[in-house]
Amino acid sequence: MPLAFAALCPIWGMWRRKACFPWSLLGVAITSFLVWSLIGKVNASKVVAYNVSGWRPPWGIQIRIDYMGLLMACLITGVGLMLLIYSWRYIVSEIKEERIPYYYTLYLLIFTAMLGFSITSDLFNFFVFMEIFSITSYALVAISGERMALRAAFKYLLMGAISSLTVLFAIAFLYSATGSLNMLDISSRLKSTAYLPVASVALILFIAAFAVKSALFPVHVWLPDAHSIAPSPVSALLSALVIKMGVLGIFRILFTVYGHSFSGLSSTWNSIAGVVAWAAALSIILGSVMAIIQRDLKIMIAYSSVSQIGYILLGITLISTRGMAGGLYNIVAHAMGKACLFLVAGIFIYKHGLRRIENLRGIGRTMPVTAGAFALAALSIVGVPPSAGFVAKWYILWGCFQEGQYAFVIVVLLGSLLSAVYCFRVVYYMFFTGAGRPGVGLDEAPFTMLAPTAILSVGTLFFGIFATLLLPSLNNAARVLLLK
Amino acid sequence: MNFSRMFHNLNYVVSALLFLMGLYTVVVKPNLIKKLIGLNIMETSVFLFIVSIGMVEGGEAPIVAEGVKSSQMVNPIPQALILTGIVVAVSTTAVALSLCLKIHERYGTLNAAEILGRGEP
Amino acid sequence: MRKAAVLGALLIIGAMLLFAIGKMPAMNSRNAPDKTHVIPRYLEKGEEEGGAKNIVTGVILNYRGYDTMGEVTVIFSALCAVVALLDREKRGLSRSSPDASGVRSSVIVRTVVRFAFPVIVFFAVAYMMLHGEGSPGGGFQGGAILGASVIVFTLAFGLPESTRRMPLKVRIPLESTAIVGFLAMGIIGLAYGVNFLTYLLPGVHGAMAQTVRNLMMTVIEVGIGIGGGVIFISIVFAMMREDKYELQPDVPQP
Repeated sequence: MPLAFAALCPIWGMWRRKACFPWSLLGVAITSFLVWSLIGKVNASKVVAYNVSGWRPPWGIQIRIDYMGLLMACLITGVGLMLLIYSWRYIVSEIKEERIPYYYTLYLLIFTAMLGFSITSDLFNFFVFMEIFSITSYALVAISGERMALRAAFKYLLMGAISSLTVLFAIAFLYSATGSLNMLDISSRLKSTAYLPVASVALILFIAAFAVKSALFPVHVWLPDAHSIAPSPVSALLSALVIKMGVLGIFRILFTVYGHSFSGLSSTWNSIAGVVAWAAALSIILGSVMAIIQRDLKIMIAYSSVSQIGYILLGITLISTRGMAGGLYNIVAHAMGKACLFLVAGIFIYKHGLRRIENLRGIGRTMPVTAGAFALAALSIVGVPPSAGFVAKWYILWGCFQEGQYAFVIVVLLGSLLSAVYCFRVVYYMFFTGAGRPGVGLDEAPFTMLAPTAILSVGTLFFGIFATLLLPSLNNAARVLLLK
Repeated sequence: MNFSRMFHNLNYVVSALLFLMGLYTVVVKPNLIKKLIGLNIMETSVFLFIVSIGMVEGGEAPIVAEGVKSSQMVNPIPQALILTGIVVAVSTTAVALSLCLKIHERYGTLNAAEILGRGEP
Repeated sequence: MRKAAVLGALLIIGAMLLFAIGKMPAMNSRNAPDKTHVIPRYLEKGEEEGGAKNIVTGVILNYRGYDTMGEVTVIFSALCAVVALLDREKRGLSRSSPDASGVRSSVIVRTVVRFAFPVIVFFAVAYMMLHGEGSPGGGFQGGAILGASVIVFTLAFGLPESTRRMPLKVRIPLESTAIVGFLAMGIIGLAYGVNFLTYLLPGVHGAMAQTVRNLMMTVIEVGIGIGGGVIFISIVFAMMREDKYELQPDVPQP
């Protein structure tokens, strides 16, 4: 049992400055190993729980690794490891030398905080970890010290801080209505509470706040700035993992704390899920449209994140088993695909200082591996058959049919079409134009940057072809959550 | 709406109003420092709200001592939460202030509209 | 126009909040859910189980010790963030007073600070930290006072003087005392097969176990206090150093 906590331990001591990179690599690797060793011990109905300080849940804080938590933890450790390896060579080129130790420290802190956030079962602890990863991500956005980065970070900080406070307010409402801070305990006590209106207002506050964190449509304005200005590994981290924490927040609140088919609140619950679904649909369309009109590669990828988050939340709030499984699968697909896209954009900046899409002409010939990785990841983002993105979107579509939500069917298809437009435009520039440039041989990025990128892009393909590895358990989890 | 209950819960009402005032300041004021002050007002309002939850009529501080019965003590959990909350708020403010310093150094102003106007390099 | 829209949105939020408040349990009531569910056990058994007369301290360090560890991490990450954003320590030590004027503060201020400084530090360490488990106070409060005392000192004597007395080399190890102390105390328990952050030693029972637990909690309190205080000091130093930049913003001239 202490295993679950030991997973967190090695990182706390990681602040020491000397030999930052190997030291943090060691920390992340040990943690990853511990997290992966939990696979198989957890499934839809089985959890690993650990009471910190040895007090039982309503009194103490419990760490509880359920299916969703483990899924997120595996993703965080896997993608985090790749990004850390990539940072080693890349980060030297974008930030000042004396800040590099702080970069790694912040990286480890954000990594720890995201892990803690995914596996805790105590609401206040949830808030504390949320604050750690928020503060560190504001700093990581601004760490290059450029003008635009400072501005983007401040905008991110204001919106992030307001949403954190809203979460705290909502926790206070729930605490006053139930007298408990443990998620499961709250969930069971809400069933018999006399203060249902308080709980429903708290629900609205929670969802609004986490919508900011996950950059859902009306409140996504911080995302394109922050994600495109940050150093590339940081963009990848924020886009692939940190906004997923907002999704996880919405998921935890909707399903773990409040719960579907909940007699007292079911109408509020359903209408809120409906609002989230529509906001998600809008993000799909508008995110894609905004991505099409961008000329900067990283801003385009950032807008694409808005639309992909829309897919995930649409899947989760469809209240159908297939849709839920698809949404969760898209978390995996998007984390790997988007991390890969940002890393490729980073390689272009590192090698040639290129940010504009038009300037990428013919780059597929000099950097075939990099451009190939981009193409593979783009296939997954669009949802072309053998990729992981396809499986995810197929299931979401299936869920829409199951529930008879034909408007959403159109949205999903249209979104895919639009994302095909912006992705293939880049692929077209890379491979099919600029053929006349003579005498340029192969000129690839360093191996430590190329390998993580390639692994992530092959990962999207792998999870597309071998989707059966994950799908049955996802379906089970969805069924348990929806009580169908 | 139950107005007598609301009057009884005066602390809650006040903290909700403070929360809104802070939010208004953050959204409307152009000066970044004023935005931060608004953020701090919001934080304080939430703290007031949480501490008020723990109040008891004629309560005592939750410290075990002669002549204080446990039923008389106020709820210690909100106080413990607020200690954590204050530290979090201080940390956020510290990060925000150092961002402000850097922004002032690079842009020469703290006015949000001007900073946005000078966005493109 | 924009203000009107914002006000409208705020009115909606406000109405929602007031609606919830109107339905909330009455303040001051002894029968509200938060006073009947988890609390009675804390209040009745807090002294034996939590190991502190001050139940807030017991809750912070024992029942919800994991949160407090997160909290320590929050200020630690704030420190990292501030130092990563602002420039490095070694630059800008030439200023003789904290403000740009170069005027030293008056004799009265310096004399008073010289007398008050040790008293404040003593109050912070001895009363707030060491005695925090039996009376109002605790690690963080002590740390804040400790930090404030050094800040007062800096305001009176200038940044170079206080960085000379508390150089970087001293501060860096102290900053991590909080986290390391917490971890060490947590792991001692772990090594003997009880859960993380359980303040117990094997083979020690009864009154002796109480003593051991109090000792460990005191160690953590002092660790948090000193670590937290030093982190505050470092943040303030980093910010003060920053005000020496030349007023030449690199704004493109129109």
